[in-house]
Amino acid sequence: MKIELAQIRPILGDVERNFLKHKEIVETSDSDCVVFPELSLTGYVLKDLTFELFRYSEMAVERLIDVAGNKCVVAGTIKEVRPGILRNSAAVIVGGRIDYVYKFYLPTYGLFEERRYFQRGDPARDLKIFRHAGVNFGVMICEDAWHPEPAEALALMGADLILVPAASPMRRLSKSLAIQDSWEALLKAHALMNSVWMVFVNTVGAQEEEFFWGGSMVVSPLGEVKLRLKTFEEDRATYDIDFEELRRARFFSSFRDHISSFHRVLARL
Amino acid sequence: MNEYVAKALAIDCDSVSRYLVERLREYIEESGLKGGVLGLSGGVDSSVVAVLLAKATENFFLLLMPSSSTPPRDMEDAMKIVKMLNAEGKYAVIYIDDYVKALADAAKVEDKKIVGNIKARIRMTLLYAYAQKLGYLVVGTGDKSELMLGYFTKYGDGGVDVLPIGDLYKTQVRQLGKCLGVPEEIVSKPPSPALWEGQTAEGELGVDYETIDSILYLRYEEMRTREEIASMLGIDMSVVDKIDSLVRRSQHKRLPPEIFRLSGRAIGSDWRYPRRYWNVRPWA
Repeated sequence: MKIELAQIRPILGDVERNFLKHKEIVETSDSDCVVFPELSLTGYVLKDLTFELFRYSEMAVERLIDVAGNKCVVAGTIKEVRPGILRNSAAVIVGGRIDYVYKFYLPTYGLFEERRYFQRGDPARDLKIFRHAGVNFGVMICEDAWHPEPAEALALMGADLILVPAASPMRRLSKSLAIQDSWEALLKAHALMNSVWMVFVNTVGAQEEEFFWGGSMVVSPLGEVKLRLKTFEEDRATYDIDFEELRRARFFSSFRDHISSFHRVLARL
Repeated sequence: MNEYVAKALAIDCDSVSRYLVERLREYIEESGLKGGVLGLSGGVDSSVVAVLLAKATENFFLLLMPSSSTPPRDMEDAMKIVKMLNAEGKYAVIYIDDYVKALADAAKVEDKKIVGNIKARIRMTLLYAYAQKLGYLVVGTGDKSELMLGYFTKYGDGGVDVLPIGDLYKTQVRQLGKCLGVPEEIVSKPPSPALWEGQTAEGELGVDYETIDSILYLRYEEMRTREEIASMLGIDMSVVDKIDSLVRRSQHKRLPPEIFRLSGRAIGSDWRYPRRYWNVRPWA
């Protein structure tokens, strides 16, 4: 399965321009699946624009169906799940149909204020596995990669590949890019612990005070970074994911040993 | 400087300057304006921002606005930057003493601080006049140390459109200055607003910038206690308290004016939009 990482710089609040960029990339991609960052159709630092833009972003998703053709497309959007209830979502277009993945962990600390605007997804209903080009995959959004459960659940539910659209802002440029090291560690850990391919697609560019650092990557089930996109600028690249490698990794890992009673303990905490 | 803090505040000059130049270029482009104007004093902050601006766009303009309290050396240093940036035709010198006198007389004030603030606000007025004339933004030159301490004139040097080095402490701006090729004598010069003769920042604040930056960093980024900071830096607790008090008392300078709440949705309270509000367009 050939995946395109579309590391774009969304224009904050300009859904039309962002849609046109999505369209151009999807139309010119020779991949099976194009993955865009978190809230790629709207931009991330929306504040109260969230309330004005969700309609446009939903319309943009509808239009992406026509653009997608046979490809699968994962785009970041806002979904109104009930009147007045909004969720930070990834629209997953597969076989001409739209489904939505909702973010579970909504960061509300430091510069983040997602719980002011969004309702979180419910794992009991919203964990989903998709199938495209013969591959079972799951999607989880940004902060969900900072917790062990979403990736573990997707892997145990059958995902061989986990896509992670993200909007990770840069902090502490004065030293090395510490946040990049953290993300690489997280992606490698998820890949190794769950024997899955991990594809991380980050936003890039300035939005208000913040700056998103890009640096999207593909990590193999053996924990190797197989593809790195540029930091600090827009970039796109494709990677042909080899599922034989996944098979070999699983032969020599304890992924098959899931001791679910741990979760009975966790559930009581 | 304390070794631990020095390490924390050491910057990778290349990536920081590349980042700031790119953001400045993009900010100007997105604003729909053509370039940027800044007030060049001959100090390290405005010299560094001038270099960054000149890298970001060829449409830059440097305004030198000396007064009788400006040391001659500052003008010489400012002219070094003009030369360094090949800014022939992209700078102007305006002596502001006559305007300062006119406004001070009109307001019937002689106090050096009040007159000093008039100077800063006259410079702001001139910068905005040039900006509007040229279709440029006013690029601010305040650094994080000054912004945190409130060591600037509200609506004077604080009256700007964007603050490219506002997240770098003074000692970090010096590091950046060095690697951007700002002459050593500018980088190592004691900082001064020069609003009256003999004024220096460290003299007025009573603390040197290495100590100020160390306290600001440890207190507000690492959120350490006063006691811990005094002991780490080997200074009296009263110094930490002094900096703390300057930061707290100047909070009003860093925020838009308070609006008294009446309506169902009020600016500054629960009407919260990004600066790029204009990006939103109806879409059918």
